[in-house]
Amino acid sequence: MNPAAQGFAPAASRVPLLQTQGLTLKAAGRVLVDALDWRVHAGERWCVIGRNGAGKSLVLRALAGLGVPGRAGEVLWQGRPQQDWPVVAAAATRALMPQQAQDRFALTVERTLALSQVVVSSDSRTAGELMSALDIATLSARRADQLSGGERQRVALAQCAMQGAALMLLDEPVSFQDPAHQQLVGRWLAEAATGERAWIASAHDPSWIGRVATHVLALFGDGCWQAGPVDDILSEDVLERTYGCAWRSVEDVWIPA
Amino acid sequence: MRPRDPAILRIALLALATALVAALALGLGSGGWDWALIVSLRAPRVAAAAGVGSLLALAGLALQVLLRNPLADPYVLGHSSGASVGALTALLLGAQLWIGAAAGALVAGLALLWLARPALAAADDASPRLILLGAMLAAVFGAIATLMLALVPDQRLRGAIFWMVGDLSGADASLWNLAGAGLFAAWLWSRGRSVDRLMLGADAAWLLGEPVRRLRLELLVFASLAVGLAVATCGSIGFVGLVVAQGWRLAGVLRTRELALLSLLSGASLLMAADLLARIVVAPLELPVGAVMALIGAPCFIWFLARGVK
Repeated sequence: MNPAAQGFAPAASRVPLLQTQGLTLKAAGRVLVDALDWRVHAGERWCVIGRNGAGKSLVLRALAGLGVPGRAGEVLWQGRPQQDWPVVAAAATRALMPQQAQDRFALTVERTLALSQVVVSSDSRTAGELMSALDIATLSARRADQLSGGERQRVALAQCAMQGAALMLLDEPVSFQDPAHQQLVGRWLAEAATGERAWIASAHDPSWIGRVATHVLALFGDGCWQAGPVDDILSEDVLERTYGCAWRSVEDVWIPA
Repeated sequence: MRPRDPAILRIALLALATALVAALALGLGSGGWDWALIVSLRAPRVAAAAGVGSLLALAGLALQVLLRNPLADPYVLGHSSGASVGALTALLLGAQLWIGAAAGALVAGLALLWLARPALAAADDASPRLILLGAMLAAVFGAIATLMLALVPDQRLRGAIFWMVGDLSGADASLWNLAGAGLFAAWLWSRGRSVDRLMLGADAAWLLGEPVRRLRLELLVFASLAVGLAVATCGSIGFVGLVVAQGWRLAGVLRTRELALLSLLSGASLLMAADLLARIVVAPLELPVGAVMALIGAPCFIWFLARGVK
């Protein structure tokens, strides 16, 4: 919170924004994530990779504190178990961008963003700034349920950022984006984890991840996982184990064989 | 930010129209402008119409958000069917109709609350379960009411059927309806932002720090009380609860606070106007007010829809 203090805090004594202890997630009787022990600190930008159904969305839901049947283990936000957080304080701690927005009522983009605001601090962005940064300024009076998939996805990202939480959990923030907007969102994300903030996003394209993230969590789908700095995880071995196909890298571009 | 002026203007104009309708409803009819007649006969009836119209419109608004279904109406959850069973029981036993109706609505409401506990307790959006539970309760009570109609003595059958489609002619001077509608609207106003967030989805609202379970429970309780009060006063009047909030949404009103005030006013004026017509069109005979309202209102709404979808 205090911009003067954060620069002097020694890295080792910092409480992680997010910590999991033995987090185990199951779906349809299968263990997808087994005993995940993981720390995410302020300033880090994490991508979660894994094939379809490997449990990426499930992990993000569990980290956000939403109900996940058959879940075991602890999730701590800023050193405190998530179930001990009052619901209002939790909203300042973490925000979740779901893969699919649940639009049933006719709300405008502007209204949707206004409703999503929780924390107002000195470094929080206004709706106008966010909308121009994410190229949705021209949509502000449109109904959120009548946008294209890519537009709605950028509005959802703006909603998540409007909440002002320290940790953003993003379920596939660029899956519907055209190449130009993938770059735009990537550049915006690369600068969104400043100060006391961090984000965790599920994504699929290793080349994009290499440009945007500092760290990667790979889910292998059988319960095993591997977490570390982006250069360690984006390797031929780990990518092959993650996706089940061979990969080669040409000048920082990853190509599946 | 857009200016709030259109909203204030809309509400002010509607308040004026509501007052005008009330005045007309008080002044028109057989006997003309007779002060004693107005105070003793018409005023209670107009007050009942206004209160019931508001209650049903607000219940519709609340249930549409609770069930995440813009087509929800106050009767989807089975209260009115429960009230019908109660009223018919009262008729068979020779007791007061409204006591039976109130008891029936209460039983149906409590049954729903009890059955819906798991659906409401889940943090995720369990609305399909809730609406299906309500539909099943409505089916059970509806079937019982139909069976009971076969048992009602012939000379009372006409009264029973009139009551089931909604009938203001026997409505009492109780101010409970008006007070309840005012309270309901005030509560919706005070929770306006939270209810708005609930429109984003139950999960989304919870992530934003809203106490979603309590909020959904409160919505259900307020809507149940409103429907029970309305049905005990004058039977199951249809249309107004489905159409008012939905109409304002289609007209571009998005905020719960604004919707609550507009529903309060237009529910009252709609039912007062419909009751006025029901009284004077074929006077001295009276038409069932619910049928009159739907007969005029539904084509208007269809025209509005057809025009809007260009």
